[in-house]
Amino acid sequence: MTQTLTATDAKRRKAAAAHADPGSRSVERFAYLFVLPALALVVVFRIIPLIWGFGYSFTNYDGMSTPRFVGLDNYVGIAHDPVFLDSLVNMLILLATLPIWIGLPLVLAILIHQGVPGGKLFRAVYFFPAVLSSVIVGAIFNVLLRYDGSFNLFLKAMGFSAVDWLGNSSTALFSLIAVQLWSTFGMSLLIFIAGLSTVSAEMLEAAKLDGAKLLQTWWHIVIPSIRPIIEFAAVVTTIGMLTSMFGLIYVLTAGGPGTSTILPEFLIWLEQGKMNRPGYASAISMVLFLLMAGLAAIQIRIMSRNADI
Amino acid sequence: MKTTNRTLRAGTMLATALVMTLGVAASAKAETLTVWDWKSGDPTTTPYYDKVKADFEAAHPGVTVKFVMQPHDQYYTLLGTAIAASQGPDVVLVHGGSQAKERIAAFSKLDDKVADIRTRVAGWDEFAGADGSVYAVPISIQGLAVYYNKELYKKAGLDPEATPKTWADLEAICAKLKAAGTTCFALGNKEGYGADFFYSSAAANALTAEQQAAWTTGDLKWSSPEIKAIIQKWVDTQKEGWYAEGANSTAKFMDEYQSFERGENANTIGLLSDVAHWKEFDEFLEPQNVGVFVMPPVTPSAYDHPRMPLAGGIGYAVTKFSPNQDLAIALAKSFADTPAMQIFFEAAGAVPSDTAVDTSKVESPSAKVVLGSLSDGVPLPHNNTSTAETEEWHRQSQMLFTGETTVDKAVARLDEVQAQAKKK
Repeated sequence: MTQTLTATDAKRRKAAAAHADPGSRSVERFAYLFVLPALALVVVFRIIPLIWGFGYSFTNYDGMSTPRFVGLDNYVGIAHDPVFLDSLVNMLILLATLPIWIGLPLVLAILIHQGVPGGKLFRAVYFFPAVLSSVIVGAIFNVLLRYDGSFNLFLKAMGFSAVDWLGNSSTALFSLIAVQLWSTFGMSLLIFIAGLSTVSAEMLEAAKLDGAKLLQTWWHIVIPSIRPIIEFAAVVTTIGMLTSMFGLIYVLTAGGPGTSTILPEFLIWLEQGKMNRPGYASAISMVLFLLMAGLAAIQIRIMSRNADI
Repeated sequence: MKTTNRTLRAGTMLATALVMTLGVAASAKAETLTVWDWKSGDPTTTPYYDKVKADFEAAHPGVTVKFVMQPHDQYYTLLGTAIAASQGPDVVLVHGGSQAKERIAAFSKLDDKVADIRTRVAGWDEFAGADGSVYAVPISIQGLAVYYNKELYKKAGLDPEATPKTWADLEAICAKLKAAGTTCFALGNKEGYGADFFYSSAAANALTAEQQAAWTTGDLKWSSPEIKAIIQKWVDTQKEGWYAEGANSTAKFMDEYQSFERGENANTIGLLSDVAHWKEFDEFLEPQNVGVFVMPPVTPSAYDHPRMPLAGGIGYAVTKFSPNQDLAIALAKSFADTPAMQIFFEAAGAVPSDTAVDTSKVESPSAKVVLGSLSDGVPLPHNNTSTAETEEWHRQSQMLFTGETTVDKAVARLDEVQAQAKKK
């Protein structure tokens, strides 16, 4: 009964507010104008190409001849394409490293927030790689990781054998992941530092007075307090992992050796740019889009559920 | 006053009419032909492009030639986008072989338009469609040759003038070089190009003309004894230590060649024209220290003597969507004019497609061998390999080096891709 009354009251209050301010509707309409440019960009550069790509994925389009409808042939081809299947396995390996992508900047952010000596310097140093383009990062690590590069010279000087970091299938993908992690974790670090500033100082003080140890404080107070921030970082990082590796792959390994560093986004470029198969590439794009949409939906659902809590 | 006004009005109308007429005339004559390539900004080829532009614009008043140099590694992606959009360049540079042949649907047929230069210019086959019609004007002859460092041969106790004629000869040379602590071949296979050059140069003298034709149509398989033997040697030579470690992470262009130029390896499979060729190696190693030979075949030779693998290198095609077809075709032809080709040869060291170019003054010993072999060449198998097969071979060649696959599995997979690409 109380609940029903409260809901009714809220509706009445809202209606009264709207009547009380006749200009609010025009303000609302005016607000749409501000949204319009961004909306137009999304529609023109995202939604329309997506619809076109969906259409092309059912054709044998080669970029030159008139596209011919081939039904589900491209999708059947993808299901039997060993290169695509390998790229999916590589993608899963990449996704399995997500905890490191979140955990590493989180730990460093907490340490910086708690005032380790030189915290400001570390914050700048960690963030610096994030402003470099992936091609520049790739060029730097190409020099460091090549067989006769600096890393191997160091290993040899220490008495170890050289490793073909980028030319060996068992190390190439992990080398790429490590380089991408190095170059992007600064962004997550900043997000976490911003989130940590919202943690209640009184609660931390109370925990300290209650005798909580450092790890207990982190686990029971700090991390639950910034949980929405962590979840947001996880969504953004996941999308970045699946869509921002192209530059590094292109410069460091060209997808090799074999298929060991081919990810779906690189394969799309390969099929469209080198093999002249935009129709087939569109089908791979659609599969990647669905996978990413599914992952994002799961993550957003988890976030929403936690927000309700 | 009335008369003055009338005169002024008439004068204004006349002037307006005159300006409009001149404007229309000017807009009718002012044409810009856009040319896409990946070479016009290269300092060694600039004199050639300057000459083509100056001569063409002088012969066609009001026409401007605009060169747009695209990055080589992204060239076909960008060209594909232009073709898909049916706008952009009027004239485009393309590689002979599969890169040109897989795009002829977007190019204008040139047959009767180039009839007057067909005998003077060589290398047309690489720019011809299945019906024999030609779609681009070749400007260079390209091929694969093994360049070697004579100094390193001498240090290993080898006769620097005794080049290998058989695979056994080459194995003996590599064994001696290895014993002397010298890496036999420079190799970069990060993008798979090292493997391309290896199989194509080794297969060129192993395949008869009929087998080359069967390779082009897809009737000669990767699992055939001739090709499989080459794939097996790709693996064996790595195991025997012919190459430095890290080939899978070394770029062929230009890390491999820079390594050869620093004298770190005794041999490298290079090109005849443009880059990674005699002129470039001469500059680093001195002409008298650079030798060149034809890669011997792994299986018995199809010919009585080693023949240089070569074909039309690069050429200019006219896009079907160019609104200036006649002018664009005239420009494509002008790239093969003898005075410009002469500069192309002298400044860039390109082997010209124009047989009228005077090459008699060249002094480089390796250039003399290359130029002397032009009339006696054999086709380059990789030019007639589909892009899908080439990409798969790049991957398989790397996995053969890492031990992830075997020769049998690799050729079986390549057969599948070949059958699909050539619809067998």
